[in-house]
Amino acid sequence: MNELEKIKEALRSSSAEKIVAFVRKENEPREVLAILSPNEIDRISFSPLSFNNPAKLLMQLNGKVAVVAKGCDAMAIKQLIKEGKLKRENLFIVGISCKGVADYRKLSKLVKLNEVTSVELEGDELVIKLKNGEKRVAFAEVVDENCVYCEHPTPVIYDVLIGEPREGKRDFSDVEEFEKLSREERWDYWISQFERCIRCHACRSVCPLCYCEECMVDPSNLAISPMSTAEDKASYPRLLGKTVNAKDNAIYHILRVLHHAGRCAGCGECERACPMELPLRKLERKLEKVVVETFGYDLNEDIPFLSKLDIVGD
Amino acid sequence: MKIVTFACNWCSYAGADLAGVSRLKYPEDVKIVRVMCSGMVNPAWILRAFRQGADGVVIAGCHPGDCHYMVGNYYAKKRYLLLKELMKFIGFEDERLKLLWASASEGKKFAEEMSAFTKLVEQLGEQKQLRWER
Repeated sequence: MNELEKIKEALRSSSAEKIVAFVRKENEPREVLAILSPNEIDRISFSPLSFNNPAKLLMQLNGKVAVVAKGCDAMAIKQLIKEGKLKRENLFIVGISCKGVADYRKLSKLVKLNEVTSVELEGDELVIKLKNGEKRVAFAEVVDENCVYCEHPTPVIYDVLIGEPREGKRDFSDVEEFEKLSREERWDYWISQFERCIRCHACRSVCPLCYCEECMVDPSNLAISPMSTAEDKASYPRLLGKTVNAKDNAIYHILRVLHHAGRCAGCGECERACPMELPLRKLERKLEKVVVETFGYDLNEDIPFLSKLDIVGD
Repeated sequence: MKIVTFACNWCSYAGADLAGVSRLKYPEDVKIVRVMCSGMVNPAWILRAFRQGADGVVIAGCHPGDCHYMVGNYYAKKRYLLLKELMKFIGFEDERLKLLWASASEGKKFAEEMSAFTKLVEQLGEQKQLRWER
Protein backbone atom coordinates (compact mmCIF):
# COMPACT_ATOMS: atom_id res chain seq x y z
CA MET A 1 0.00 0.00 0.00
CA ASN A 2 1.52 3.29 -1.00
CA GLU A 3 1.56 6.59 0.84
CA LEU A 4 -1.53 7.99 -0.85
CA GLU A 5 -3.64 4.90 -0.11
CA LYS A 6 -2.59 5.08 3.53
CA ILE A 7 -3.61 8.73 3.70
CA LYS A 8 -7.01 7.95 2.21
CA GLU A 9 -7.54 5.05 4.56
CA ALA A 10 -6.62 7.16 7.59
CA LEU A 11 -9.02 9.87 6.46
CA ARG A 12 -11.83 7.35 6.01
CA SER A 13 -11.33 6.18 9.59
CA SER A 14 -11.95 9.68 10.97
CA SER A 15 -15.37 11.04 11.84
CA ALA A 16 -14.59 14.51 10.50
CA GLU A 17 -17.22 16.49 8.64
CA LYS A 18 -14.72 18.24 6.45
CA ILE A 19 -11.33 17.34 5.10
CA VAL A 20 -8.54 19.70 4.21
CA ALA A 21 -6.23 17.92 1.82
CA PHE A 22 -4.28 18.23 -1.38
CA VAL A 23 -5.99 17.89 -4.72
CA ARG A 24 -4.26 17.78 -8.06
CA LYS A 25 -4.41 21.10 -9.88
CA GLU A 26 -5.80 21.07 -13.38
CA ASN A 27 -3.20 21.36 -16.14
CA GLU A 28 -0.36 21.61 -13.66
CA PRO A 29 1.66 18.88 -11.98
CA ARG A 30 1.35 20.33 -8.47
CA GLU A 31 -1.27 19.87 -5.78
CA VAL A 32 -3.39 22.60 -4.27
CA LEU A 33 -5.37 22.63 -1.06
CA ALA A 34 -9.06 21.95 -1.06
CA ILE A 35 -11.84 21.62 1.50
CA LEU A 36 -13.56 18.34 0.79
CA SER A 37 -16.50 16.44 2.19
CA PRO A 38 -15.93 12.83 3.32
CA ASN A 39 -17.39 11.36 0.10
CA GLU A 40 -14.76 13.16 -1.97
CA ILE A 41 -11.80 11.36 -0.45
CA ASP A 42 -10.93 9.74 -3.78
CA ARG A 43 -9.99 13.11 -5.24
CA ILE A 44 -7.12 13.45 -2.82
CA SER A 45 -3.62 13.36 -4.18
CA PHE A 46 -0.17 13.73 -2.64
CA SER A 47 3.30 14.18 -4.11
CA PRO A 48 6.55 16.07 -3.47
CA LEU A 49 4.78 19.01 -5.10
CA SER A 50 2.17 19.25 -2.33
CA PHE A 51 3.98 22.13 -0.73
CA ASN A 52 1.20 24.41 0.53
CA ASN A 53 0.39 24.80 4.20
CA PRO A 54 -3.16 23.86 5.20
CA ALA A 55 -3.00 25.52 8.64
CA LYS A 56 -4.40 28.82 7.39
CA LEU A 57 -7.46 27.14 5.90
CA LEU A 58 -8.27 25.39 9.16
CA MET A 59 -8.99 28.67 10.92
CA GLN A 60 -11.95 29.31 8.60
CA LEU A 61 -13.62 25.99 9.38
CA ASN A 62 -15.90 25.03 12.22
CA GLY A 63 -16.66 21.57 13.52
CA LYS A 64 -14.50 18.53 13.27
CA VAL A 65 -11.93 18.76 10.52
CA ALA A 66 -9.47 16.20 9.25
CA VAL A 67 -6.27 17.54 7.79
CA VAL A 68 -3.30 16.15 5.92
CA ALA A 69 -0.22 17.77 7.41
CA LYS A 70 3.49 17.58 6.71
CA GLY A 71 6.04 18.31 9.42
CA CYS A 72 5.98 22.08 9.03
CA ASP A 73 2.19 22.16 8.64
CA ALA A 74 1.82 20.30 11.91
CA MET A 75 4.16 22.80 13.53
CA ALA A 76 2.02 25.68 12.25
CA ILE A 77 -1.08 23.94 13.58
CA LYS A 78 0.65 23.47 16.91
CA GLN A 79 1.47 27.19 17.09
CA LEU A 80 -2.14 28.06 16.31
CA ILE A 81 -3.39 25.68 19.00
CA LYS A 82 -0.99 27.30 21.45
CA GLU A 83 -2.39 30.70 20.62
CA GLY A 84 -5.97 29.54 20.95
CA LYS A 85 -6.81 29.87 17.28
CA LEU A 86 -7.55 26.18 16.77
CA LYS A 87 -8.89 23.49 19.06
CA ARG A 88 -6.97 20.26 19.20
CA GLU A 89 -10.10 18.19 19.86
CA ASN A 90 -11.66 19.50 16.64
CA LEU A 91 -8.77 18.30 14.54
CA PHE A 92 -7.91 14.94 13.14
CA ILE A 93 -4.36 15.25 11.91
CA VAL A 94 -2.99 12.78 9.39
CA GLY A 95 0.70 13.47 9.84
CA ILE A 96 3.10 12.75 7.04
CA SER A 97 6.70 12.06 7.81
CA CYS A 98 8.05 14.45 5.21
CA LYS A 99 11.10 13.89 3.05
CA GLY A 100 10.98 17.48 1.86
CA VAL A 101 9.11 19.08 -0.96
CA ALA A 102 10.35 20.03 -4.40
CA ASP A 103 10.84 23.65 -5.35
CA TYR A 104 8.36 24.48 -8.10
CA ARG A 105 10.56 27.20 -9.50
CA LYS A 106 13.57 24.94 -9.73
CA LEU A 107 11.46 22.24 -11.33
CA SER A 108 10.03 24.62 -13.89
CA LYS A 109 13.56 25.40 -15.04
CA LEU A 110 14.31 21.72 -15.59
CA VAL A 111 11.23 20.59 -17.46
CA LYS A 112 8.26 22.09 -19.25
CA LEU A 113 5.55 21.97 -16.61
CA ASN A 114 2.68 21.36 -19.03
CA GLU A 115 4.36 18.18 -20.20
CA VAL A 116 4.65 16.70 -16.73
CA THR A 117 2.04 14.10 -15.85
CA SER A 118 3.20 13.11 -12.39
CA VAL A 119 6.06 13.56 -9.97
CA GLU A 120 7.21 10.88 -7.59
CA LEU A 121 9.99 10.38 -5.12
CA GLU A 122 12.01 7.18 -5.40
CA GLY A 123 14.81 6.98 -2.89
CA ASP A 124 17.06 9.96 -3.57
CA GLU A 125 15.71 10.52 -7.03
CA LEU A 126 12.76 12.51 -8.21
CA VAL A 127 11.01 10.71 -11.03
CA ILE A 128 9.27 13.17 -13.32
CA LYS A 129 6.90 11.37 -15.67
CA LEU A 130 6.47 13.33 -18.86
CA LYS A 131 3.96 12.90 -21.65
CA ASN A 132 6.66 11.21 -23.65
CA GLY A 133 9.01 9.31 -21.42
CA GLU A 134 10.33 10.19 -18.01
CA LYS A 135 13.14 12.15 -16.43
CA ARG A 136 15.09 11.37 -13.31
CA VAL A 137 16.85 14.04 -11.28
CA ALA A 138 18.58 13.90 -7.93
CA PHE A 139 16.11 15.14 -5.32
CA ALA A 140 18.85 17.27 -3.76
CA GLU A 141 18.85 19.32 -6.96
CA VAL A 142 15.22 20.34 -6.84
CA VAL A 143 14.47 20.19 -3.12
CA ASP A 144 13.13 23.37 -1.55
CA GLU A 145 16.06 25.06 0.17
CA ASN A 146 13.91 25.48 3.23
CA CYS A 147 13.56 21.72 3.63
CA VAL A 148 17.33 21.21 3.81
CA TYR A 149 17.33 22.90 7.22
CA CYS A 150 14.09 21.32 8.42
CA GLU A 151 14.08 20.65 12.14
CA HIS A 152 10.77 18.79 12.40
CA PRO A 153 10.23 16.59 9.33
CA THR A 154 8.04 14.34 11.47
CA PRO A 155 4.87 16.11 12.61
CA VAL A 156 5.02 17.25 16.24
CA ILE A 157 1.33 16.44 16.67
CA TYR A 158 -0.68 13.86 14.78
CA ASP A 159 -3.42 11.28 15.15
CA VAL A 160 -2.16 8.96 12.44
CA LEU A 161 1.40 9.00 11.20
CA ILE A 162 2.13 7.97 7.63
CA GLY A 163 5.66 6.73 7.01
CA GLU A 164 8.56 6.15 9.35
CA PRO A 165 9.47 8.96 11.79
CA ARG A 166 12.41 10.94 10.48
CA GLU A 167 15.08 12.71 12.47
CA GLY A 168 15.48 16.41 11.89
CA LYS A 169 18.37 18.54 12.97
CA ARG A 170 18.77 22.06 14.21
CA ASP A 171 21.02 23.69 11.67
CA PHE A 172 21.67 27.40 11.39
CA SER A 173 24.78 27.09 9.22
CA ASP A 174 23.42 29.36 6.47
CA VAL A 175 22.59 32.10 8.97
CA GLU A 176 25.99 31.77 10.62
CA GLU A 177 27.66 31.94 7.24
CA PHE A 178 25.82 35.17 6.47
CA GLU A 179 26.69 36.67 9.86
CA LYS A 180 30.38 36.36 9.01
CA LEU A 181 30.04 39.03 6.33
CA SER A 182 30.90 42.60 7.26
CA ARG A 183 28.19 45.05 8.24
CA GLU A 184 28.39 46.95 4.95
CA GLU A 185 28.12 43.77 2.93
CA ARG A 186 25.09 42.67 4.90
CA TRP A 187 23.41 46.06 4.57
CA ASP A 188 24.10 46.23 0.83
CA TYR A 189 22.78 42.72 0.37
CA TRP A 190 19.53 43.35 2.21
CA ILE A 191 18.91 46.76 0.70
CA SER A 192 19.40 45.30 -2.75
CA GLN A 193 16.88 42.61 -1.83
CA PHE A 194 14.37 44.99 -0.26
CA GLU A 195 14.67 47.28 -3.26
CA ARG A 196 12.99 44.60 -5.31
CA CYS A 197 10.08 44.16 -2.91
CA ILE A 198 6.88 45.48 -4.44
CA ARG A 199 4.97 45.37 -1.14
CA CYS A 200 2.22 43.17 -2.49
CA HIS A 201 1.95 41.75 1.04
CA ALA A 202 1.68 38.24 -0.35
CA CYS A 203 4.11 37.03 2.34
CA ARG A 204 1.69 38.31 4.94
CA SER A 205 -1.44 36.98 3.25
CA VAL A 206 -0.07 33.49 2.86
CA CYS A 207 1.53 33.10 6.28
CA PRO A 208 -0.49 30.79 8.55
CA LEU A 209 0.61 32.80 11.59
CA CYS A 210 -0.34 36.21 10.18
CA TYR A 211 -3.95 35.94 11.24
CA CYS A 212 -4.47 39.45 12.65
CA GLU A 213 -7.64 40.96 11.27
CA GLU A 214 -6.01 44.33 11.13
CA CYS A 215 -2.38 44.30 10.17
CA MET A 216 0.12 47.00 11.05
CA VAL A 217 0.35 47.97 7.40
CA ASP A 218 -3.39 48.30 6.88
CA PRO A 219 -4.87 51.75 7.23
CA SER A 220 -6.25 52.32 10.68
CA ASN A 221 -9.95 51.57 10.96
CA LEU A 222 -10.86 54.91 12.46
CA ALA A 223 -14.03 56.05 10.77
CA ILE A 224 -13.73 58.33 7.78
CA SER A 225 -16.79 60.44 7.16
CA PRO A 226 -17.51 62.90 4.38
CA MET A 227 -16.73 65.52 6.99
CA SER A 228 -13.17 64.31 7.56
CA THR A 229 -10.77 66.91 6.36
CA ALA A 230 -7.78 66.07 4.23
CA GLU A 231 -5.62 66.95 7.18
CA ASP A 232 -7.49 64.48 9.38
CA LYS A 233 -6.93 61.72 6.88
CA ALA A 234 -3.31 62.65 6.38
CA SER A 235 -2.55 62.60 10.09
CA TYR A 236 -4.04 59.17 10.68
CA PRO A 237 -1.95 57.18 13.07
CA ARG A 238 0.11 54.71 11.13
CA LEU A 239 3.29 52.89 11.83
CA LEU A 240 4.60 52.55 8.37
CA GLY A 241 4.44 54.54 5.16
CA LYS A 242 2.79 53.06 2.14
CA THR A 243 5.56 54.19 -0.13
CA VAL A 244 7.48 51.44 -1.84
CA ASN A 245 11.16 52.08 -1.44
CA ALA A 246 14.02 50.05 -0.05
CA LYS A 247 14.02 51.64 3.41
CA ASP A 248 10.29 51.43 4.02
CA ASN A 249 10.37 47.89 2.72
CA ALA A 250 13.18 47.11 5.15
CA ILE A 251 11.04 48.38 8.02
CA TYR A 252 8.07 46.39 6.78
CA HIS A 253 10.08 43.20 6.63
CA ILE A 254 11.76 43.73 9.99
CA LEU A 255 8.38 44.26 11.64
CA ARG A 256 6.74 41.38 9.84
CA VAL A 257 9.47 39.01 10.90
CA LEU A 258 9.53 40.41 14.42
CA HIS A 259 5.89 39.43 14.80
CA HIS A 260 6.90 35.84 14.10
CA ALA A 261 9.55 35.56 16.80
CA GLY A 262 9.31 32.17 18.40
CA ARG A 263 6.28 31.32 16.29
CA CYS A 264 7.44 30.78 12.71
CA ALA A 265 6.72 27.19 11.76
CA GLY A 266 9.18 27.27 8.90
CA CYS A 267 6.90 26.17 6.09
CA GLY A 268 8.49 28.61 3.66
CA GLU A 269 5.17 29.76 2.23
CA CYS A 270 6.31 33.39 2.33
CA GLU A 271 9.22 32.64 0.05
CA ARG A 272 7.11 30.57 -2.32
CA ALA A 273 4.46 33.25 -2.53
CA CYS A 274 6.93 36.07 -3.09
CA PRO A 275 6.76 37.16 -6.72
CA MET A 276 10.17 38.82 -6.44
CA GLU A 277 11.80 35.76 -4.84
CA LEU A 278 13.15 37.55 -1.78
CA PRO A 279 15.05 35.38 0.71
CA LEU A 280 12.49 35.97 3.46
CA ARG A 281 13.18 32.75 5.30
CA LYS A 282 16.68 33.93 6.06
CA LEU A 283 15.30 36.68 8.29
CA GLU A 284 12.92 34.30 9.97
CA ARG A 285 15.67 31.81 10.57
CA LYS A 286 17.91 34.47 12.08
CA LEU A 287 15.18 35.31 14.56
CA GLU A 288 14.63 31.64 15.28
CA LYS A 289 18.33 31.36 16.01
CA VAL A 290 18.11 34.22 18.53
CA VAL A 291 15.03 32.70 20.11
CA VAL A 292 16.71 29.33 20.42
CA GLU A 293 20.20 30.41 21.40
CA THR A 294 19.67 33.57 23.45
CA PHE A 295 16.37 32.71 25.06
CA GLY A 296 16.67 28.93 25.10
CA TYR A 297 13.13 28.52 23.82
CA ASP A 298 12.01 25.47 21.91
CA LEU A 299 9.25 25.96 19.34
CA ASN A 300 7.78 22.69 20.46
CA GLU A 301 6.98 23.99 23.95
CA ASP A 302 3.36 24.37 24.98
CA ILE A 303 3.63 27.98 26.13
CA PRO A 304 3.92 30.78 23.54
CA PHE A 305 7.32 32.43 23.40
CA LEU A 306 6.17 35.93 24.35
CA SER A 307 4.17 34.70 27.34
CA LYS A 308 7.22 33.07 28.86
CA LEU A 309 8.52 35.65 31.25
CA ASP A 310 11.07 33.48 33.00
CA ILE A 311 13.33 33.84 29.96
CA VAL A 312 14.58 37.29 29.15
CA GLY A 313 17.97 36.55 27.59
CA ASP A 314 21.14 38.06 28.94
CA MET B 1 22.30 64.62 17.02
CA LYS B 2 18.76 63.57 17.60
CA ILE B 3 18.25 61.01 20.30
CA VAL B 4 14.74 59.83 20.96
CA THR B 5 14.18 58.40 24.41
CA PHE B 6 11.10 56.45 25.32
CA ALA B 7 10.99 56.83 29.09
CA CYS B 8 8.51 55.01 31.25
CA ASN B 9 6.22 57.17 33.33
CA TRP B 10 6.96 55.55 36.68
CA CYS B 11 10.74 55.20 36.85
CA SER B 12 12.76 56.63 34.02
CA TYR B 13 10.69 59.73 33.40
CA ALA B 14 10.81 60.48 37.10
CA GLY B 15 14.53 59.75 36.96
CA ALA B 16 14.97 62.23 34.13
CA ASP B 17 12.89 64.69 36.12
CA LEU B 18 15.15 64.20 39.10
CA ALA B 19 18.16 64.84 36.91
CA GLY B 20 16.55 68.12 35.93
CA VAL B 21 15.55 69.06 39.44
CA SER B 22 19.04 68.26 40.71
CA ARG B 23 20.43 70.48 37.93
CA LEU B 24 22.51 67.70 36.47
CA LYS B 25 23.64 68.29 32.92
CA TYR B 26 22.96 65.99 30.06
CA PRO B 27 23.04 66.78 26.33
CA GLU B 28 20.09 68.62 24.85
CA ASP B 29 20.11 66.11 21.96
CA VAL B 30 18.06 63.80 24.10
CA LYS B 31 14.36 64.16 23.38
CA ILE B 32 12.16 62.37 25.84
CA VAL B 33 8.86 60.77 24.91
CA ARG B 34 6.90 59.74 27.96
CA VAL B 35 5.20 56.37 27.69
CA MET B 36 3.23 54.60 30.38
CA CYS B 37 5.50 51.57 30.36
CA SER B 38 8.62 50.49 28.51
CA GLY B 39 6.64 47.37 27.58
CA MET B 40 4.36 49.41 25.35
CA VAL B 41 7.18 50.61 23.12
CA ASN B 42 6.34 49.14 19.76
CA PRO B 43 9.39 48.23 17.65
CA ALA B 44 7.60 50.09 14.86
CA TRP B 45 8.00 53.34 16.82
CA ILE B 46 11.72 52.76 17.06
CA LEU B 47 12.05 52.07 13.36
CA ARG B 48 9.82 55.02 12.58
CA ALA B 49 12.03 57.24 14.71
CA PHE B 50 15.05 56.09 12.73
CA ARG B 51 13.11 56.59 9.51
CA GLN B 52 12.32 60.16 10.48
CA GLY B 53 15.93 60.94 11.17
CA ALA B 54 16.71 59.96 14.73
CA ASP B 55 20.39 59.17 15.24
CA GLY B 56 19.80 57.07 18.31
CA VAL B 57 16.90 55.58 20.21
CA VAL B 58 16.83 54.73 23.89
CA ILE B 59 14.20 52.70 25.64
CA ALA B 60 14.28 53.54 29.35
CA GLY B 61 12.32 51.57 31.87
CA CYS B 62 12.21 50.37 35.46
CA HIS B 63 14.70 47.84 36.74
CA PRO B 64 13.61 44.23 36.31
CA GLY B 65 11.22 43.40 39.12
CA ASP B 66 10.30 47.04 39.73
CA CYS B 67 7.79 47.48 36.94
CA HIS B 68 4.63 49.30 37.92
CA TYR B 69 2.76 46.79 35.77
CA MET B 70 4.69 43.80 37.13
CA VAL B 71 6.16 42.47 33.88
CA GLY B 72 6.15 45.28 31.32
CA ASN B 73 9.89 45.68 31.28
CA TYR B 74 10.40 41.96 30.65
CA TYR B 75 8.42 42.34 27.44
CA ALA B 76 10.45 45.43 26.64
CA LYS B 77 13.68 43.54 27.03
CA LYS B 78 12.51 40.68 24.87
CA ARG B 79 11.39 42.98 22.07
CA TYR B 80 14.55 45.02 22.37
CA LEU B 81 16.83 42.02 22.08
CA LEU B 82 14.98 40.59 19.11
CA LEU B 83 14.91 43.91 17.29
CA LYS B 84 18.55 44.59 17.99
CA GLU B 85 19.68 41.19 16.76
CA LEU B 86 17.58 41.49 13.65
CA MET B 87 18.86 44.96 12.84
CA LYS B 88 22.40 43.77 13.37
CA PHE B 89 21.69 40.95 10.95
CA ILE B 90 20.52 43.21 8.16
CA GLY B 91 23.57 45.40 8.73
CA PHE B 92 22.07 48.33 10.58
CA GLU B 93 24.29 50.05 13.14
CA ASP B 94 22.65 48.46 16.12
CA GLU B 95 24.70 50.47 18.64
CA ARG B 96 22.24 53.26 17.98
CA LEU B 97 19.64 51.35 19.90
CA LYS B 98 19.93 51.17 23.65
CA LEU B 99 18.00 49.78 26.55
CA LEU B 100 18.43 51.54 29.86
CA TRP B 101 17.15 50.64 33.27
CA ALA B 102 16.81 53.76 35.39
CA SER B 103 14.74 54.10 38.53
CA ALA B 104 13.10 57.25 39.83
CA SER B 105 15.99 57.86 42.22
CA GLU B 106 18.70 57.45 39.60
CA GLY B 107 18.75 60.93 38.14
CA LYS B 108 22.50 60.86 38.17
CA LYS B 109 22.69 57.56 36.39
CA PHE B 110 20.21 58.78 33.79
CA ALA B 111 22.27 61.90 33.07
CA GLU B 112 25.52 59.94 32.90
CA GLU B 113 24.15 57.23 30.66
CA MET B 114 22.62 59.78 28.34
CA SER B 115 25.88 61.70 28.07
CA ALA B 116 27.78 58.50 27.34
CA PHE B 117 25.24 57.40 24.74
CA THR B 118 25.25 60.80 23.04
CA LYS B 119 29.00 60.64 22.84
CA LEU B 120 28.80 57.19 21.26
CA VAL B 121 26.23 58.32 18.72
CA GLU B 122 28.33 61.38 17.92
CA GLN B 123 31.22 59.07 17.12
CA LEU B 124 28.99 57.05 14.80
CA GLY B 125 27.87 60.21 13.07
CA GLU B 126 24.59 60.86 11.38
CA GLN B 127 22.27 57.96 10.91
CA LYS B 128 21.78 57.64 7.18
CA GLN B 129 20.75 54.05 6.79
CA LEU B 130 17.03 54.41 7.39
CA ARG B 131 16.34 58.14 7.29
CA TRP B 132 14.62 59.95 4.47
CA GLU B 133 17.04 61.46 2.03
CA ARG B 134 16.65 65.11 1.46
